[in-house]
Amino acid sequence: MDQPLAYTLKMKIRSVYIIDDDSITIFGLRKLLDKLYKDLVIHEFENGKTALDALTRLQKQNKPLPELIFLDINMPIMDGWAFLDEFLKLPNTSTVTIKIITSSIDIRDREKWKSYVKDAQHRIDFITKPIYELDLVDLQVAS
Amino acid sequence: MKAIGIHSIDYLVKQLPHPVAFINKKFKLVAASKAWLEYFETTMHEARESNLLHLWNNKEDALWEQQLRKCFKGSREFGVHYSTDKSGKELWSKWTALPWYDEAENIIGAITSLEDIGGQLEQEAKYEKLESLLKEQSEITKVGIWEYHVAKDRLTWSEMTRRIHEVPSDYEPQVDTAINFYKQGHSRNTIAMLVHNGLHRGTPWNKKLQFVSAKGNEKWVIAAGKPLYKNGQITRLLGTLQDVSEQVTQETKTKESERLLRTLIDNLPLNVFIKDTDSRKILVNKAECEYVGVDDPSKLLGKSDFDLYEKDIAQISRDEDLQVMKTKKSILGKRTVNVKKNGATTAFLTSKIPWLTLEGESKGIIGISMDISEIIQKEDQLRDLINVTAIQNKKLINFAHIVSHNLRSHTANFSMLLDFLIKEKEENEKERILGMLGKASENLTQTLENLNEVVAISTNVNLEKKSLNLNQEITKVQESLAAFLRKHQAKIDNQISDKVYLKAVPAYLESILLNLLTNAVKYKHPERIPEITLSTRKQKEHIVFNIKDNGLGIDMGKYGNRLFGMYKTFHNNKDARGIGLYITKNQIEAMGGNIMVCSEVNRGSTFSVYFKDEN
Repeated sequence: MDQPLAYTLKMKIRSVYIIDDDSITIFGLRKLLDKLYKDLVIHEFENGKTALDALTRLQKQNKPLPELIFLDINMPIMDGWAFLDEFLKLPNTSTVTIKIITSSIDIRDREKWKSYVKDAQHRIDFITKPIYELDLVDLQVAS
Repeated sequence: MKAIGIHSIDYLVKQLPHPVAFINKKFKLVAASKAWLEYFETTMHEARESNLLHLWNNKEDALWEQQLRKCFKGSREFGVHYSTDKSGKELWSKWTALPWYDEAENIIGAITSLEDIGGQLEQEAKYEKLESLLKEQSEITKVGIWEYHVAKDRLTWSEMTRRIHEVPSDYEPQVDTAINFYKQGHSRNTIAMLVHNGLHRGTPWNKKLQFVSAKGNEKWVIAAGKPLYKNGQITRLLGTLQDVSEQVTQETKTKESERLLRTLIDNLPLNVFIKDTDSRKILVNKAECEYVGVDDPSKLLGKSDFDLYEKDIAQISRDEDLQVMKTKKSILGKRTVNVKKNGATTAFLTSKIPWLTLEGESKGIIGISMDISEIIQKEDQLRDLINVTAIQNKKLINFAHIVSHNLRSHTANFSMLLDFLIKEKEENEKERILGMLGKASENLTQTLENLNEVVAISTNVNLEKKSLNLNQEITKVQESLAAFLRKHQAKIDNQISDKVYLKAVPAYLESILLNLLTNAVKYKHPERIPEITLSTRKQKEHIVFNIKDNGLGIDMGKYGNRLFGMYKTFHNNKDARGIGLYITKNQIEAMGGNIMVCSEVNRGSTFSVYFKDEN
């Protein structure tokens, strides 16, 4: 049950953004990520706007973008979809894995996600809460 | 010489035994026999003074005059003269006129004589009558002839008469048995009276009566009869009998079907009308009369729509009529609106059908209209109901979505945290997870409370509204938010007059103000001190309350449509906006008002609340 994970991390991940306004989800994600990665830098944003501003700043300063972004859909000011719209418009970005995390089981959210997956240069996943370790593990076995 | 000559003629003529008269070319009597004067019941003196034509007193005096004129030219003329004497007795005479010559063989007038031919003429008239009747019989089928000889009390029937009675050819008719062929009651009484009057007063008759043949077949007959005279006495009755059952049955049928049609159109719950080529009504049914407001169809006949309805409406109707008459094609089930001169409006479903002659020419239109005002009203009500239902449904789906989504997010958190807790070894970490679980529980409770509030608004639609002073309410809310406002250094510029009163549910108004004010401060711009302006204005039937801030603003293009949609979840207290605005909107709508927002990112937002002005 409690044995250490036996897979190798195929992807080198140094920096992670968590864009979510729910402190419990953030706590959970941090806890799971801490287990999988060493020396990981995690940034938290309470809505899409603050995260987008940070990413734009990084690009202007020619600094590397985070390899992984956890994105909540329902947030005030700028929600997950709006963030995606804006982020996908950013030019010349490195490939980022975006994991949409939602408690929504609304089929329309899933359809919307599929419409983004089709032509994005980034990898976009869709995870329905609750989040388990395995949800984060697949990002290592794939790619 | 001449005078002596005339006198001598006069003397001679007087004594002639027959009625003889000498008439000059000026139609003046010159001389007459005593018999002639007696015949005309006049004297010589009187006759000479009067107009002979007048004295002649014959129905055919014009002819007599013509004939005399011919006689003056040398022709020999004769004719029949008819008159009645003092006792009323008929006098029939044959008259003869010869040219009257003087010594020089010149015609100076006419000599006329009269000869009584009473008996002879009666006989002739009888044959003439019979002849004409036979002629009639040959023209019209089923006309029987009968003759009754009064003195001999003998009734004779022609073959056709027997056939109508349906009796054998050797049947011997009697007057009373013949009368008994007529249907008991009106018909029999009538014929008995007519025959009696014919016999005793000489009154001819012609009547349509009911009749039962020997074989028991009921028929309609036209019975006609006429007395014939001999020496002034009624000696015979001559008559005809015509079987008109078919015509009468046909007439009855026509009348019956006319009545059926009339009953039908009068009792149809539709307005029926027939118009001529000038669009004047020539038939209307009861429903149409009732619609127009007259008690009798005759008051509508001959009138056009221009006499009854608004000019524009009447013109539309006239154009339709013309179209139907021109194209000979029906207009079916067209929705029309009719406006009476008093302005009363009625919606109709109207059909107009061309009315054609046997030759296929338009002679007008047949119109049928159904009053559908009520149906339309019901339709409108139904549409309103559907709209309301659709809105309610949308709200319900939205609510269900929120409920499932929000509750799910909490259960997901519980699930995740419990998973951590089970696997955790370290006591400190366990404590931390437990703390998180406590927080998750608090969030869940908060969510449930919020949802309860939404349900409460939806179920308490009829909360009592009171007249509230807006500024007093604002002050109350400011006091309760005092610490929060101070913390954010919020500046509030209240421009509202103390005289503004609103009709509102007190708890709702407080909640609305609290929410909007809190949001205005909470979503302040990070680089600015929050500045809030409160104002009101009057707009038609509404009092509009405006709350303007200089905060973050909202991207209306992206969020405008779901700002009040309760889509936003309330994971934590920081994010009360989603449910807050949803509740606010519900409360305003429950009071019959509305809320709108204008906003620009980085500039600020203005929320406008429309309260129904019920003062």
